[in-house]
Amino acid sequence: MTEAARPIRVVVVDDHAIFRSGLKADLAADIHVLAEAATVEEAIAAVAAHSPDVVLLDVHLPGGRGQGGREVIAGCAGLLAQVKFLALSVSDSAEDVVSVIRAGARGYVTKSISGAEISDAVRRVAGGDAVFSPRLAGFVLDAFGTAEVAVEDELDRLSARELEVMRLIARGYSYKEVAKALFISIKTVESHVSAVLRKLQLSSRHELTRWAADRRLL
Amino acid sequence: MSAKMYRSADRMVAGVCAGLADHLGMRVGTVRAIMAGACFIFGAGLVFYAWLWILVPLAGDDAATGTRRLDDDGNPRLKLFRPAPTGDAGTGGIPPTRHAASRRRGASVGLKEILIGGALVVVAFLLFSARAGVNLNLGTVIPLAVIAAGAVLAWMQLDATRRVGLLNAAKMDTPWSIVRFAAGIVLVAAGVLIIVTGSGSWALVWASVVASLAVLAGVGLVLAPWALKFWRDFQGERAGRIRETQRAEIAAHLHDSVLQTLALIQKRADSPQDVSRLARAQERELRSWIYQDAGQDPGKLVAGIKAVCAEVEDLHGQPVELVTVGDAELGEAMRALVQATREAVLNGVRHGGTAVSVYVEASPSGVDVFVKDRGAGFDPAAVPADRLGVRESVVGRMQRNGGSAEIISSQEGTEVRLHLPALATHSPGPRSGTPTAEETK
Repeated sequence: MTEAARPIRVVVVDDHAIFRSGLKADLAADIHVLAEAATVEEAIAAVAAHSPDVVLLDVHLPGGRGQGGREVIAGCAGLLAQVKFLALSVSDSAEDVVSVIRAGARGYVTKSISGAEISDAVRRVAGGDAVFSPRLAGFVLDAFGTAEVAVEDELDRLSARELEVMRLIARGYSYKEVAKALFISIKTVESHVSAVLRKLQLSSRHELTRWAADRRLL
Repeated sequence: MSAKMYRSADRMVAGVCAGLADHLGMRVGTVRAIMAGACFIFGAGLVFYAWLWILVPLAGDDAATGTRRLDDDGNPRLKLFRPAPTGDAGTGGIPPTRHAASRRRGASVGLKEILIGGALVVVAFLLFSARAGVNLNLGTVIPLAVIAAGAVLAWMQLDATRRVGLLNAAKMDTPWSIVRFAAGIVLVAAGVLIIVTGSGSWALVWASVVASLAVLAGVGLVLAPWALKFWRDFQGERAGRIRETQRAEIAAHLHDSVLQTLALIQKRADSPQDVSRLARAQERELRSWIYQDAGQDPGKLVAGIKAVCAEVEDLHGQPVELVTVGDAELGEAMRALVQATREAVLNGVRHGGTAVSVYVEASPSGVDVFVKDRGAGFDPAAVPADRLGVRESVVGRMQRNGGSAEIISSQEGTEVRLHLPALATHSPGPRSGTPTAEETK
C-alpha cells in the first residue's frame, strides 16, 4: 500500500485492559497507537487531544449516560470529518451493530477477528472506506430486503449491484474476492460498500424504521 | 413546573404545599398562605390539605415502584455487558432505604387517617341528622355504632389481608375482592338496620336513605386513598420480586454454564484445541441466551441450520460463522436442506481446515445456502466415484428434494451453493425412490 509511508495513528477505546494490550500487540507495525481510553469521558478527551486517524471503539463502555460507543461518537461529532470510527465488539446483536453504525461509525468488526484482519480494517477505514463484516452485511440485507427493486428514492433502496456486493460479503467473501466474482475493481466494491453505509446511516425509510422497531432499536 | 404532582421531600408538615407550588409553578410561600387562609373558610384548607396528603405520593416514591426500576433491571441481557446507567445518581435518585422508610411511614399514617376519617364521617352524619330534625335517640345511635364498628373491623381486616397479600403474591387478587365484598355487606347491613329501627314513617325512611348515602360517600372517601396506597405497595412489591427472580435466574444460569466451562478450561489448559472448542461452545450458548436473536423457534429453518453449525463446531473445534437473512418453515424438503448444509459444513471444516462461513437467505422465491471455506480446494470432478460424501449427501439430497447444489472450488477455497425453490418446499413432489438407487450405482 502507498499509505504505508505514513503510519496510521489510532486511539484504542475499550474498558478491558487485557483486551487493549492484546489488540496493541496484534496491530501491524504501520499502525501507531497514540492513546488508550477505558470510559466514555476518557475516550472523548483522548480523541479531542490526539485527533487520530482512526478510533477503535468498543460498543459497550462504562461512563457517560450509559450509551457506550454511540455516546463517544456523538461527543466527537465535530471531529467526524477527520476522525474515523471503527466499532469493535463481542456482541453481534442487531441492536448494537446498527445503532453504532447509525451513530456514525465507518465499520463494525467483532473482537474475534485476527490481527491481520483488524489491521486491514483499520487501513481501510483510514482510507475513507467502510468495513462490513459478514454479519453486518446480513443485517443490511435483512433491513433493506433482499428483493431487487427499481431504485426510486436512492436512500431507501439498495441497487441491484449493492445487493450483490452485500450478499457476497455476507457469504464471507473479502473485498478482493467480491471484485473478482463480479468482474469489477476493488475500488468499485469499496464505493458500493460506502454507498450502502451512507444509506444505512441516512435512510429514514419506512421499512428500516419498522425493522429497527421490531428489534427495539428505536 | 412538573406534569405529575408529588409531595416535596423538602417539607414543613407533609410536603403538600411545596409539591403543589412545584406542580402549579407558583411560589411556596404563596401556596402556604392561600392554604392557611382557606382553613378559615369552614376548614376547607384543612380538608384539602389532608386530602392531598393522603392521595399524592411522596417525591421519589413513584420512581421507586414504577416502571423505571423495571426498565433498568427488567432486561437481564442489558445488565450483563452494559454498565449500569450512572445517570441515576444525578437525576435525584433517592437511596432505597429512604423509599422503604417513606413507604412504612405511609402505611402507619394511613391507618390513623382512616380512623380519623371514619370518626369525621360519623360526626358529620350525626350533625346532618340533627339538622334534618331527627331526634338522636338510641334507635339511631346504635346502628351508627354498628356501622362504625363494622367499618373499623373492615379496615383491620384490610390491613391484615394486605400484609398477607404482600407476603404471598399469588393471592394478591383474592383478599382484595374479599375486602370489597365485606365492605358491601357492612353497608347493606347498616342500611337495613337503619330502615328497620326507624318506625316506618316516610320521613324517617327518607332521612335514613339520605343517611345511607352519606355513609356510602364517606366510606368511598375513606376507601379511595386506602385502595390507592394498597395498589402502590403492591406494585412496588411486584417490581422488587421480579428483579429478585431475574437476579436469581441469571446467577443460576451463569453458575451452570460459564463457571462450569471455566473450570473445564482450567483442567484442559494443556490442549489448545479443547480449550478453544469449550470456549466457542460456551460463547455460542451464552450469546443465544443473552441476545435471544431470531432462530429460537425450533420449527424454523434458521434454528435448524444453527443447530447443525453448532454441532459441527463442537465436533471439530473450528469456528463456523453463520449469517442468516429471513426465515422459513421447516418442512420436509427444508430438513433435507439442513442435512445437506450439515454435510457441506462438515466437509468444509474437515478438508478446508479453516473457519467456515455459512450464509442462509430465505425469501418468498426460495432458500439459498452458501457454505464457504478457505482451504486448499479440490476438484469436484476428480473425487473418486466411491466417495459418497459430497455427491450423495449434498448434491443427491438436494436434487431429490427439488433443489440444486453446486460446488465451486479453487485455490482460495471451496464454496457449496445450495438452492431450494419455494415450490419444492410446499410440495416435495418430484421425488421418488428410484434416483437413490441410480446414483449409487
